[in-house]
Formats: sequence, structure tokens, C-alpha cells
Amino acid sequence: MSETELQRLLGFFSDVQIDSEQADHFRKLWTMRAFERSELITEAGHTERYFYFVLEGVQALYVLNQRGEKVVLGFSYSGSPSGVFDSFIARSPSSTFLEALKPSKLLAITLPDYESLFGLFPDFHRWGHLFFREVLFGRLFREVELLTLSAEQRYIAFMQRCPEELKVIPQKYLASYLNMKPETFSRLRSSTSY
Amino acid sequence: MAGLFISPENQIQRLNQITNEIARLKSLPLSLLTVPPKPKAWSIIEIIAHLNIAYGLYEEKINGALAKCPNKQSETEPFKARAWQRFVINGQRPKGNVRKWKMKTLKKFEPLLSPENRNQEQISSIFDTFQTHYGHLRQAILTGRNKDLSKVKITSAIGPIVRFYLPECFEFLLCHAERHLVQINETKEMIS
Repeated sequence: MSETELQRLLGFFSDVQIDSEQADHFRKLWTMRAFERSELITEAGHTERYFYFVLEGVQALYVLNQRGEKVVLGFSYSGSPSGVFDSFIARSPSSTFLEALKPSKLLAITLPDYESLFGLFPDFHRWGHLFFREVLFGRLFREVELLTLSAEQRYIAFMQRCPEELKVIPQKYLASYLNMKPETFSRLRSSTSY
Repeated sequence: MAGLFISPENQIQRLNQITNEIARLKSLPLSLLTVPPKPKAWSIIEIIAHLNIAYGLYEEKINGALAKCPNKQSETEPFKARAWQRFVINGQRPKGNVRKWKMKTLKKFEPLLSPENRNQEQISSIFDTFQTHYGHLRQAILTGRNKDLSKVKITSAIGPIVRFYLPECFEFLLCHAERHLVQINETKEMIS
């Protein structure tokens, strides 16, 4: 991991005070993993082994419906965390897939090392509280959007807040995330400004 | 019958469930693994040995076909199984916990474990072979995600009466394993 990459990682954990000596140990806990486009990072039925921080690329988290179609639950991208958190924390087989939609470079930490951070750095407890609060609020907000907004409103709300690198992934993933058909997404993209 | 769409992700998910279930059986005592529920029925370990024999007849064919398939240039729609192959696949697919279309096993697929060989070493070896074979299947499905699999057919283990494209072949093998998982669960219930 380069110094720049370490600084980006430390930036993600900005609530945690880590001095330069501790940073050396912290750096050693993370390994670099690279994935090709369309490579499966985590498979449904396997237990998630890592918590990831994304350096490059976009990844989609999805489940399969009864017809075997992908239903996208969320995305991760440069600077965001990634992984199948429920499987990782519970050490149980995942019901979701994590797939690299673009060539991806991720920093990965195993569960024992992740858990050791809470013992080594007391600030991690506060980070963990804030992180999972943010995850919970995000899921609640998305549920309300899906249940209350029209397709056009969902499209506009999403496009206004999503990072640029997400706007160029295959439309079918964005359409699935917004719970609309790819044809609807395509029509909204050509007819709606945001 | 409606068309059968086959996606590699669906196959991977089911395959992982199968291998997880088989791995859990490793902790069963020898007596449960080796006892047939009825005099002419297979024990759990014989069922797994049968799955190994069946897969072994496909492994080289799959390797050969994958090597001939060109790389995929763009994302394609899920593969649609053809009518005859769909019929053969659905003949294997269990419906819930019921095995439809029970049939006599051909001699070449029979496990034929002699009682004196049903020891811990042999049993471990059967489990290891299963993990190797179905690990190979997993890798083949993953490799196939980036290949155009609509160009090469392989002959099934029962002969040229059934010829599969690889996604059909993978589906057949998965349904066959799922069918025998149902049998394993039936066997467990009968002997416990």
C-alpha cells in the first residue's frame, strides 16, 4: 500500500486517532486485492472474508430473484466501504453477490484483524457506532424512497446524489437499483433533466 | 413448459449451497454415512461416490469445450435451454423435496463400494474428490461467464442421444446433484 493509499484509508477512518507508529501496524493489517470487470468478489453461498475499502472501481451488491434475475441492493465505489457486511460480521454464508462492474482495487481486512482494531484503538468503537448508524439510516431512506416516490422522482433523486463514476455503469444495474425496467430508465435518461 | 433461462450466478449460488451441504455431512459418524436405509438402496457415502463418478465423466469434456469457446465480446442475455435438453434437465430437477422420474442407474454410474473398503480413509477420499470435482465445476461456470458458450456442444455421459451446450450441461449436473441431495436427506431421516 502506497503512502497516498494509506492516507486515503486513514481519511475514511477520520474519527479514529492513529499516530504514525500505530499507522505502521494499521497498514500491515490490510492487503490489496484486484478484480477484473465482471469478476465476482463474493459469491452467494460463500462467507464474506473481508471488509473492504475501495481504492478504484465500482462494485454492485445484488441478490437473485426467483427468476434468477439480479436485483441490485447497492453499489460501492472509490472511497467507500465495500463487502457483504452481514455475512462478514455473522460469519455465515452470504445470500448476496458482490461483483466488480469495473476493474477494481480494494484494500481488504480479515475479521480477526478488523476485530482487533477495536481493542487496539478505542476510537474504533465510536467509528463503528457512526458507521453502522449511517448504514441503517441509508437503508431506511432508500426504503422510503422506493415505497413513496414515482419512477421519475426516484431517478432524479438518485442522479442528483450519485457520484459521477456510478453514472457510467451498465444501465441495467442502475435500473434494477431504482426498481424500474431498463427501458424505463433509458426513457427517463433521455427525457429528464436533474 | 416455459423456457428455462440459465444464468451462471444462479448456478454458482446453487452450487455453493450443494457443496456447503455436502461439507456438513463430513461430521456425521461413519455408521450413519455407510448404512443403507434399505438392503438395495445406497448409503449416503455411496450417493456421494455416485456423484463423483457422474462428474468424472464430464470433467475432460467440459475442459475441452471451454478451451474451444471464444471469449465473449459483450454482455449477453441468460442462456435458454433447448426443448429436449430442458426435458432431460427437468427430469433430474427435484420438485421441492420430491424426486420425480425415478429410474434405474446404469452400471457405469454405480458406486460399487465394497463393505470392507468403507473405512474412514476411503470416506475422506470420497469427500475430497467431491470437493475437487465440484470446485472444478464452480471454476468452469466462472470461466464460462466470460466466454461465448453458444458455439460448442458436448456429448452427455449417456451418449449422443443428449448433447449439451455448456450452460445446459452445468444445469444438468446441478439438478442431478440437487436430486441426490434430496435422496441424502431422505436417507438421513430413514436411518436416524
